[in-house]
Amino acid sequence: MTADRIWHRLAVTAAYGLPVFFILLPLCGFLLYSLFWVQGTELHYDLTLVNYRRFFTEEIYIPVLRQTIVLCLEVAMLCIGFGYPVAYFLSSLKGRKKYTLLMLLLVPLLMSYIIKMYAIRSILGGNGFLNRTLIALGLIDQPLTFFVFNLNAVLLTLSVLLLPFAILPIFLSLERIPKNLLEASADLGGSNRQTFFRVILPLSLPGVISAAAFVFVLAIGDFLTPQMVGGQSGFTFGRVIYSQFGTAFNWPFGAALSVILVALVIVAIAVGTRFGGERARVR
Amino acid sequence: MKRHPLATLLLTLVTVVVFVLLYGPIFIPIVTSFFTVKYGAVDWSQANLDAYAKLTENEGVIEAVENTLIVGLSAVAASLILGTVIALHCNSGKSRARSLLQFIVFMPFLMPPIITGLSLLIFFREVEIDRSMLTIIIGHTVFVLALVYRTILVRLQGIGFSMIEASYDLGASAPQTFFYVLLPNLKSALIGAGVLAFALSFDETMITILVTGTQNTLPIRLWAMMRLGFTPDINALVAIILALTTVLVLVAARYLIPKEFAGAEA
Repeated sequence: MTADRIWHRLAVTAAYGLPVFFILLPLCGFLLYSLFWVQGTELHYDLTLVNYRRFFTEEIYIPVLRQTIVLCLEVAMLCIGFGYPVAYFLSSLKGRKKYTLLMLLLVPLLMSYIIKMYAIRSILGGNGFLNRTLIALGLIDQPLTFFVFNLNAVLLTLSVLLLPFAILPIFLSLERIPKNLLEASADLGGSNRQTFFRVILPLSLPGVISAAAFVFVLAIGDFLTPQMVGGQSGFTFGRVIYSQFGTAFNWPFGAALSVILVALVIVAIAVGTRFGGERARVR
Repeated sequence: MKRHPLATLLLTLVTVVVFVLLYGPIFIPIVTSFFTVKYGAVDWSQANLDAYAKLTENEGVIEAVENTLIVGLSAVAASLILGTVIALHCNSGKSRARSLLQFIVFMPFLMPPIITGLSLLIFFREVEIDRSMLTIIIGHTVFVLALVYRTILVRLQGIGFSMIEASYDLGASAPQTFFYVLLPNLKSALIGAGVLAFALSFDETMITILVTGTQNTLPIRLWAMMRLGFTPDINALVAIILALTTVLVLVAARYLIPKEFAGAEA
């Protein structure tokens, strides 16, 4: 049995050691890095709050962050605006049809993210599918530009990419509403409208909140979509962080900005779990 | 209680719009891949396979596909082994250390990928591991581990302890119990989790772009190609990738969808 014991010891060590080494340690190191500072290309390993001070004092960072938060809230609202009716429609279907449609709504999540982004860009572009269709229909004579390479383009693209993440939690919360509550409401003389606004909507609200938190977190961490469709004006916080690790080459400052991002994400997740429904773990 | 026909119409309409929004960006490149694209306009007159022929000459893409497969398979193997070990350990009792471990495993899944990617980037630099295929594999393993772990844990909890106790009572050793009792019961969960993890790894972009050295995986290659401008073989590549992903999704669904749903189909 001694060989068994050695194997067991080894397995338990790996079970703790590898996640600690490759997840916890990098995250802690990351936090520490945000307290270092850079001069020219040289990295100084002594602790300072200079990076955080820079974030709060320099005039560009807070507006970009605010703009990004607003953008991601708008993405969340758009996703819920479109996702709720779809989830509601799905949950009113029966049996096989319901789950087949649900599957079909989730499948695009696994489809290449870069490709979808690229396709959406070519649809939205100045010479893209959407503008050409509108011109062909005679609705406009000049290509519209308000959704080409700016924040609106980022908003629309992120919303389309993240829509399935909103549908699933709302669907699950709708499914959990006991059918006899709806019957009770009808028996007591409630109209369809009353049943929806007084019974279904309040009971599905936790799902809506987790959907919003989900979409918000995924949107705020995205730095590739704004880069692809945002052009010059579609600057977001994620892009600012990414640029610190590329062109600007200030890793400690980038780390400090990321810590601020993490703080925001934690707030969003906390709100989502406190007021939201069961944490739907899907990806 | 019947819904108002107008409400039904409206709901159906929104659902159709959402389907168009979700599938439009997937189908447009596939359809376009069979036609010649010139000066940004599609020539609809004749379908052909030119784009596919061009693709076979694109060495960068072929190398990227190879890299993606290597990374995906390695990450699947690593996360399945580690996920099983962690799940077995966490299922064997309750302790503060176990819940902490579970929390650590879930972190890369809850945090935005940019955080996972950057923390690994800084970590690799400080421990002096050069960025390479290995660092991509580590990044992907860390990313998919939570999902794999969770899938296996749920299955383990479904098995319960009585079967394991019975095995020990009948005189089986720990390895025998694992290989003859647990593994056969875990098989479909392992396959499902593995396929899903592969699909995630196949498409992982944000972590990869941060921890990659000179090697390209497919999404990174696509990203580079698309930023430089359009080449027609992209559409062909897109069509092939989407076909492959569909197959993967179908396989994963077969193993992961709960029996009750499958029952509803019968």
